[in-house]
Amino acid sequence: MSTAVDQAVEAGPSTFRPTSMELQHRVEKFFSAEAELLDDHRYTDWVQLFTEDVHYWLPTRMTRTIRERDQEVAAAGENALIDDDLTALRGRVRRVTSGIQWSEEPPSRTRRLITNVRIDERGDGELDVRSNFCIYRSRLERHQDWFVGERFDLLRPAEGAYPYRIASRKVVFEQTTILAPSISIFF
Amino acid sequence: MVDIGTLVDSKQGLINPLIYTDPALYQLELDRVFGRSWLFLAHESQLPNRGSFVQTYMGEDPVLVVRQRDASVKAFLNQCRHRGMRICRADAGTNKTFTCSYHGWAYDLEGNLINVPLEERAYHNQIDKSQWGATKVPRVQSYKGFYFGTWSDEVPEFEEYLGEMKYYFDAAVDRWDNGLEFVKGATKWVIDCNWKFAAEQFTSDMYHAPISHASAMVALFEDPAMRSLFDPSPHDQGRQFAGHGHGTGSMGIPEFGPDILAGPEYSAWQIANRDQVYNRLGTDRAHKIMIHNNIFPNFSWLGTASTMRVWHPRGPGQIEVWAWTYVPKDAPESARKGVREVTQRTFSPAGVFETDDGENWTEIQQVMRGWKARSTLFNAQMGLGFEQRDYPGMPGMSNDLYSEMGARGFYQRWQDLMKNLSWKEIAELDAQRRAAEQEVQPA
Ligand code: FES
Ligand SMILES: [Fe+2]
Repeated sequence: MSTAVDQAVEAGPSTFRPTSMELQHRVEKFFSAEAELLDDHRYTDWVQLFTEDVHYWLPTRMTRTIRERDQEVAAAGENALIDDDLTALRGRVRRVTSGIQWSEEPPSRTRRLITNVRIDERGDGELDVRSNFCIYRSRLERHQDWFVGERFDLLRPAEGAYPYRIASRKVVFEQTTILAPSISIFF
Repeated sequence: MVDIGTLVDSKQGLINPLIYTDPALYQLELDRVFGRSWLFLAHESQLPNRGSFVQTYMGEDPVLVVRQRDASVKAFLNQCRHRGMRICRADAGTNKTFTCSYHGWAYDLEGNLINVPLEERAYHNQIDKSQWGATKVPRVQSYKGFYFGTWSDEVPEFEEYLGEMKYYFDAAVDRWDNGLEFVKGATKWVIDCNWKFAAEQFTSDMYHAPISHASAMVALFEDPAMRSLFDPSPHDQGRQFAGHGHGTGSMGIPEFGPDILAGPEYSAWQIANRDQVYNRLGTDRAHKIMIHNNIFPNFSWLGTASTMRVWHPRGPGQIEVWAWTYVPKDAPESARKGVREVTQRTFSPAGVFETDDGENWTEIQQVMRGWKARSTLFNAQMGLGFEQRDYPGMPGMSNDLYSEMGARGFYQRWQDLMKNLSWKEIAELDAQRRAAEQEVQPA
């Protein structure tokens, strides 16, 4: 009989992806460009990076035992911090640029580090991309937050100034209890 | 220690900011307020099976709320009686027993100690396990699917504790034949502010909404003409209720059913099932939205968005918000999707309303670091003298929607408890207050 410990050392699929240097480079530059738009507060430009059918989603998570870890991150239809379509996301952008959103007026200072970009190509040219983020926010006199987690994106090739549109984004924080008074910035 | 009798003047509407900052007062609150009130523990939908449990808090005390084999719900302190280790460290799950991971004492679903490792060798079979069970929450009350618990043996039964607030609480929890359920999962976050700012606001404060949340409607509606949705309607300007420390603010609606925010599918489902609501609540109540609500001390919900939450105190200057989305149990996924999404969109740490509340409370708390700032009285006088008992459609004491009668009532109850008056003495005082109120009532 195999125990939980035995199962943990059984081999799973390799996490090494033989991505071409060019593709890797393009996707990483795209994420840097996106992060720059947000760190520079260019929200109206940023929201144009999303497709009409985008699902922009930040599920909550909870502490569960290993036996019940499949229930750690909330599933579709369960609890979420944000569960938006493009209309709702545009609404958030309208709000943050309104000058009367007091949680971002005066605005937070942010710096986004997007790393560990891992790409899986779909047959049709769309890309499943996982990346890690570490976002520092400083607010008003001395308030500061770190937002750390992983993003699961679906990127669709596009024409124009940016090579992709984001067709789906799931953001998972490494916190169950969010140690910040508000999530008034974007991920 | 300062004189608690001078910290709050509910008759004059004055608040001494020390009540939000003083560490000694905070320790006293845990004992006298949180230790003696009914506190929300869980909703039945969080405990679907025998052995289902959630970990929550009563004040700062961690408790396990567990569905028993006979389907009842019990709660006990999540603290091992051996050396105080947290017995269970998962937020939720299903268990047959709870085994402490320090030395292995094991407890059953009720919290009884059932196994001690090396009982024969280490304890020489002399430990009386029946004496060393986890500390049980002595009173757990089920109310329409909601479980409340208290450590107090003298606080009145839950319904009596609610008083007239029952009418307003039922408007949320007793409107559908088959009741409510929570969407799976909780949203938890930390705000650096005293718990009373949050609880008081949900009791009493409609006044902040047009200013603090000015940007929320901008997010929700592209068309500026739609942004006046929550402006007082011409046929019902809105009233605020307060009693027994609880409070709500209500707003009239012309008919029950359509819900612009939750969308067409939810609206259609509500309209198709609205006989339930009219039958259970009556037309008067069905034609009101209880906008903001708080059951003293720290259980709040909204009627506009479907959020319910507890403001867990974490020291004088911090809270943890635990929030759930409630939906009618019978609503199909196609309908409840709209409620769930708009609730998360409006009231969560990322909510287009809620982010602004945290901003206010953290700034207030920061400012009170100053000695001068901490000794400058706050004004809670709005609507003082305009109270009216049993206004049509508003059982109990009510006032204009924009008033602070609820806040005054909230701090009055807080002060009664902090003075360590017994619940019997509090009931007598309430009766005297009510008698006095009739003397000053205009004819
Ligand atoms: S502290 Fe729990 S068994 Fe020792
Ligand atoms: Fe608010």
